[in-house]
Amino acid sequence: MKQSPQLKKAEEAMKPGVITGEGFLGKDKRHLIDILIEDDAEVSRSGLSHDIIAEKMKFFKEEGIKGEGLPVCVGDNFEVIVESVRGKLACPFGEPGLISKNNIGVINTKIKQEIHFTDFHIHMIEEHGFYQGKGSPYRISPKELIEILEIEPNE
Amino acid sequence: MYLQWIELVYSVLVVCGISTVLAILMVIADATIGNYGKKKLIVNNDKEFEVEGGNTVLTTLKEQGIFIPSACGGRGSCGLCKLKIDEGGGDYLPTELSWITKEEQKDNIRLCCQLKMKNDLKVTVPDELLEIKEYEVKVDKIVDLTHDIKCITFVFQGDDKMEFKAGQFVQLEVPEYELCEETVYRAYSISSVPSENKRFQLQIKYVSNGICTTYVHKHMQEGEIIKMNGPYGDFYLTDTDSELIFMAVGSGMAPIKSILMDMLERGINRKATFLFGAKNTDDLFLVDELKSLEKKLPDFKFVPIISRPEESKDWNGETGRLSEILPKYLKKPENTEAYLCAGERVIISYKQKLMELGIPENKIFYDSFG
Repeated sequence: MKQSPQLKKAEEAMKPGVITGEGFLGKDKRHLIDILIEDDAEVSRSGLSHDIIAEKMKFFKEEGIKGEGLPVCVGDNFEVIVESVRGKLACPFGEPGLISKNNIGVINTKIKQEIHFTDFHIHMIEEHGFYQGKGSPYRISPKELIEILEIEPNE
Repeated sequence: MYLQWIELVYSVLVVCGISTVLAILMVIADATIGNYGKKKLIVNNDKEFEVEGGNTVLTTLKEQGIFIPSACGGRGSCGLCKLKIDEGGGDYLPTELSWITKEEQKDNIRLCCQLKMKNDLKVTVPDELLEIKEYEVKVDKIVDLTHDIKCITFVFQGDDKMEFKAGQFVQLEVPEYELCEETVYRAYSISSVPSENKRFQLQIKYVSNGICTTYVHKHMQEGEIIKMNGPYGDFYLTDTDSELIFMAVGSGMAPIKSILMDMLERGINRKATFLFGAKNTDDLFLVDELKSLEKKLPDFKFVPIISRPEESKDWNGETGRLSEILPKYLKKPENTEAYLCAGERVIISYKQKLMELGIPENKIFYDSFG
C-alpha cells in the first residue's frame, strides 16, 4: 500500500543512526505502512485494540514503580520490576518532546515467560500502533504482549 | 534535410553542454556545501583551536581532548552535554529545545551534540571538565556479585592513573558489536576507593537489551583493552559534621561503597547509616565486607534490607521497601544529609519520604542514573 508523506518521513526517522543507532525497523524490508497494517490485523484478530494493550502495559508499570527499584508481585502470577535507564528518545512520528526509557520487566510465573518493555514501547503502541519492524532487537510482537501479560478482549 | 541534421546536432550539443555545466556545479556544490572550512573554537576565553567546521561541538571538543559527559553517544537522547555558548551558536535547533529550559535559553546554554561548528565559536567549559581525560584500560577481572550484577576491575596502562573523588563516575566506550553499529558511551559510578588510582572498579547490572550492559555481561573478556573517559560528577561527600544516611538498591551501591571506603581511609567518622536493598538474600552482595566496616568505622551501621524474604531461608534482618524502613534509622533528620543512588523514579520516591521525615531538600544529594 502507498504510504502518506508523514509515514514516509517517520520511516526515514526509524532508520539506523537517525534517532538510535539500531533504528526501529530491524531487517524488515517492508514499508512502515505494511508493518503497521500487519500488526494492526493481528491485534484485531485477537479482539483487542492498541489502547487495551497499552493500558495493560501502563498498569504493570504503575504497579512496578511501587517496588522502588526492586521486583514486586502483581496478582497471583506476575512479578514486575521498573528500572530507570539513562536517556530519552524522540518520537520517530515527529511528536514534540522526549520519551523516557524506564525499563519495565514483567515475569509471568505461571507460564514462566518474561517480557521487557519501556515507556517508549508504550507510547509507540498507544499513539501509533507500532511494535517495531521484524528483526529489530527491540520489537515486541502483539502476540507476545497478549500472551505474557494475559490481555483479555473484555479488559 | 541538411538543416534538420544541423538542428539535431545543435540540440545534442546544447543538452550535453547543459549536462556538463550541471555536473560541474554538482562537483562544486559537493565540495563546498556542508564544507564549512576551518573555524576557530575558543574555550573559556583562553584556549584557541583551529578546527574543521561542520562537526558537532561535542565531537570537536573531544578531538581537542575535552570530554563532555554524554551517555547517548551524541544522539540528543540524554541531555547531558549542555554547555554555555558565548558567541557563534546561532538559533536553537528543534532537537535541542526539548532539553533546554527557558532560563537556560537566556543563558545561551546549548546541547553541544546537536550544535554544529558552522561559525567561529566561543564556549565556556566548566574547569572540572577540563580535567577529564580519555584512557585505554585493561579489563583485569570480572566477578559475579549476583546473577545479574558483575564487578569489573579495570587497570590503567603504562604510567596512566586517574585522580577522582569517591562518588564520581566514568564513561565506558562500547565497541561495535551486534547491538550497536558504532561505538557508544555509557556512564557508571566507580565503586573502588580513590587512593587506588592505578585501577578502578565498576558494578554493572544487566539490563535486558541494554547496549553496554549486554556487552559487559555477554561479550567482555578479561585481558581486553577498552577506552573510557572520566572522572565526572558532583556526587561526593560534603565537608560538614552532619549525620549521614545512604540509600541504594542493587548496583546503586557502587558510589556509596566508594564513599564509605574513602571515609575509612581519611579517618572521617561521621555517624552514618547505609540502607541497602535487594529482592532476596541471593541478590544481596558484599554484605560481609560492608558489615566489617562497622568495626572499623565505629559510628557506621550497615542495614541490608530484603523486599521478598524466602520461606526456605533464614532471614533475621529488615524486610520491606527502603522508604518503609527509613523512619526507624533516621533519628535526627534536621542534622542529617542523605545520599541516594538509584533510578529517577526511585529517587523521587526516596526524596519525598526523606522530606516528609524532615530532611531539608538542600541536604538530599543524589546520583540519578535515570
